[in-house]
Amino acid sequence: MKLCAVACAALLMVTTVACGGAAGTSSSGGGAGQLTVFGSEPPTLDPALMSDTSASEYVVEIFSGLVSLNTQLQIVPDIAESWDISKDGATYTFKLRDNVKFHSGKPVTAKDFKYSWERATDPKLGSATADTYLGDIKGVAEKLEGKAQEISGVKALDDRTLQVELEAPRFYFLAKMTYPTSFVVDKENVDSGGKTWIDKPNGTGPFRLTEWKKGERIVLERNSNYYQEPAKLTKINFLLAGGSAMTMYENNEVDISGVGINDIERIKDSSNPLNKEFVIAPSLDIWYVGFNTEVPPFDDAKVRQAFTAAIDRDKIANVVWKGLLTRADGVLPPGLPGYNSGVQAIKFDPARAKQLLQESKYRGTLPPITYTIPSSSTTIGPASEALLEMIRTNLGVEVKVQQSEWAQFLGDVKRNPLQNKKNKYQMYELGWSADYPDPQNFVDILFYSKSLDNNGSYSNPQVDRLIEQARGDPNPGDRSKKYQEAEQLLVSDAAVVPLYHGKHYQLVKPKVKGYKPAPMTISHYRYISVE
Amino acid sequence: MLAYIVRRLIWTPIGLLVVTFVTFGLGYYGPGDPVQVLMGQKNDPAVVERIRRERGLDKPFLEQYATYVFGDGSEERRGVIRGDFGESYKFTGQRVSDLIFSRIAVSAQLGALSLAIGVTIGVIFGLIASTNQGRWVDPLTISTGLLLSSLPVFILQPILAYVLSRQFHLLPSSGWEGLLHPKVIMPTLVMCLGPIGGIARLMRASTLEVINQDYVRTGRAKGLSEGTVRLHYITRNSILPIFTVVGLSLASLVEGAFITETLFGIPGVGRLAVDAFFARDYPIIMAITLLVAAAYVMANLIVDIGYTFLDPRIRLQ
Repeated sequence: MKLCAVACAALLMVTTVACGGAAGTSSSGGGAGQLTVFGSEPPTLDPALMSDTSASEYVVEIFSGLVSLNTQLQIVPDIAESWDISKDGATYTFKLRDNVKFHSGKPVTAKDFKYSWERATDPKLGSATADTYLGDIKGVAEKLEGKAQEISGVKALDDRTLQVELEAPRFYFLAKMTYPTSFVVDKENVDSGGKTWIDKPNGTGPFRLTEWKKGERIVLERNSNYYQEPAKLTKINFLLAGGSAMTMYENNEVDISGVGINDIERIKDSSNPLNKEFVIAPSLDIWYVGFNTEVPPFDDAKVRQAFTAAIDRDKIANVVWKGLLTRADGVLPPGLPGYNSGVQAIKFDPARAKQLLQESKYRGTLPPITYTIPSSSTTIGPASEALLEMIRTNLGVEVKVQQSEWAQFLGDVKRNPLQNKKNKYQMYELGWSADYPDPQNFVDILFYSKSLDNNGSYSNPQVDRLIEQARGDPNPGDRSKKYQEAEQLLVSDAAVVPLYHGKHYQLVKPKVKGYKPAPMTISHYRYISVE
Repeated sequence: MLAYIVRRLIWTPIGLLVVTFVTFGLGYYGPGDPVQVLMGQKNDPAVVERIRRERGLDKPFLEQYATYVFGDGSEERRGVIRGDFGESYKFTGQRVSDLIFSRIAVSAQLGALSLAIGVTIGVIFGLIASTNQGRWVDPLTISTGLLLSSLPVFILQPILAYVLSRQFHLLPSSGWEGLLHPKVIMPTLVMCLGPIGGIARLMRASTLEVINQDYVRTGRAKGLSEGTVRLHYITRNSILPIFTVVGLSLASLVEGAFITETLFGIPGVGRLAVDAFFARDYPIIMAITLLVAAAYVMANLIVDIGYTFLDPRIRLQ
């Protein structure tokens, strides 16, 4: 879901519109049982290669895996009907359903999973997601380096039993298994189709791909062989071409649409007829100001705390964004398992902010500070303007602004210990959205001192210890507590300034029934019906 | 004449080779890494290195360039000179040629339709203005043409979408389903305005130049009907400069119209190009640059050669 964050990085906010994917359906021409959806062009539909929401939206409908997420983001059985976890937490034994078939009618066996994962970890395939989602499995690292032909930790004990051995107990492993990298593909389909096999995929999901006209449309039809309750819709047309989703919705060209920032107030007005078609879903993300703790002045926690205390986050969320986004106190977004509504943020307090700056080692000698925003837009946006003005007024510090186009931003903000490359920025704006619903995806990935995605090089031994303990903790309640403790520590330490969490604003035509917006991309079209 | 054409044709590939070299160099030395963009915020230098190695992106500049142009001897990478533009970085596994030719087709259809309509209106405006020289119709027609041409797409599009789609539900607001679908009407309406002003002025000026020529007077003197004089003596000769302008803008059909395509959500080559720039999808950027350059060279050549047929007084040396 990283690229989703890219699209949103322009901070043109309300995530639905920026991410396009979740939005829209069209009715013109479609009868009952048909939905013509406004979608985005996927870079690929190959489960092992796709890495963003513009692809996962289709992939989760065409393919499926051992487990999946339901609309409440709980992990539920999918192709696996049950699983056992060994006492040490490092071996998972999945029992497959006996009625699972590919769209062609061929039964799915445990061997198909072994094949699919070995294909995904073949270095020649060049998957950018295999390390993240399959890397916990024993033998995957060797396979990815080209040192092994097989994944030693994966065994098909019989047609319906798949045994997976991990390098170490990882209790977020099942959460990772909900991501398409681990979905099952058909070897015959892949081998016979060559490089373009994905144009005619033989999947297992509730829908079949029947047409993919690049740039114009993707058509999915119901898979009547589906091993769970078949979809109610017979057909979904995704329109890949199209301009303003809102205009298309109001012109009855689509049935579901994201709502942009400029339209929200109009729609929120209860006298507007569209107001009744309005749906809001939270988005599992966090937008924050990052500090590079390796360079002055942000290597001093007092300076970070001073900057945090100088920013009125409530005003940014509720005045600048007109309450369209949720003010963030911590880094875990509401709706994510482990979310802590009681996290104590550093309060907005200009007097305290000035005092903290006086107490810091940079008292009177604050070096010049540059704030970098990943955007190619002509303006930096009202939220960043407000933020910089707050620092100027409340702290008396003049911060320079620099905009950096996304590709360059990524190159500069990322660290590379192999080449001793450091984060080039001092202070920057960034967002992060969940890949899988687990607090590990935020706290561990973004703030563990050795994590490569810890862009600010934040390092706190207490936080590290809690994260390490949480990784192998089998009790979900205890795990969450540890992540929450770590979150509190890093918030008090001002590792970042949490700004806000996004929301999806959507319009849904009344004839569409059973539509539940989910904060993550999950297979959901099968629950929808059209009258 | 033949020697001229042959010389031009020999120089064309050399020019294009220079274009590929410069573009490739800019991509290689410019900031941003296509693999990191593909990975998004996920940072794993080892994975980036592995994918770069698999795609040959870790090789020295000249070696990469040579592979790009001449291929590496395998069927997978046959090189640009054999018409193989390689595989897209962003659209994993898809051939660049598959991606761009379908989009060029969309851009070219829309562009050609708009150009044809725009030029026709422009020519008519120019003729009306020139025949009414000095009367109020003359400045009125030319100003109208200029006014239409000056309307920016990003102002027209929202107005049209609001009135024709949102308010009266007469036309689909955006999208693309081929040349024969109503979705084509609004973007064509917007795009055809561009050439009107310039063409009208050019047509007016060149008609006025022709209108006072001796042969026009001769035509009238020998009793030809006014219609014949206008069509065969005046219009045929005054349309030459229009031919140059249209001929050269044919090349722009390959480029697409980025703003119009974005506003109307049309899957044309302009949009693809801009997306490719942001994703550092070099194979696509290279292919589009090369095709656009080739199109301009060819359009120039065609205009030069075509001239000699339209106006026998012009002889290429």
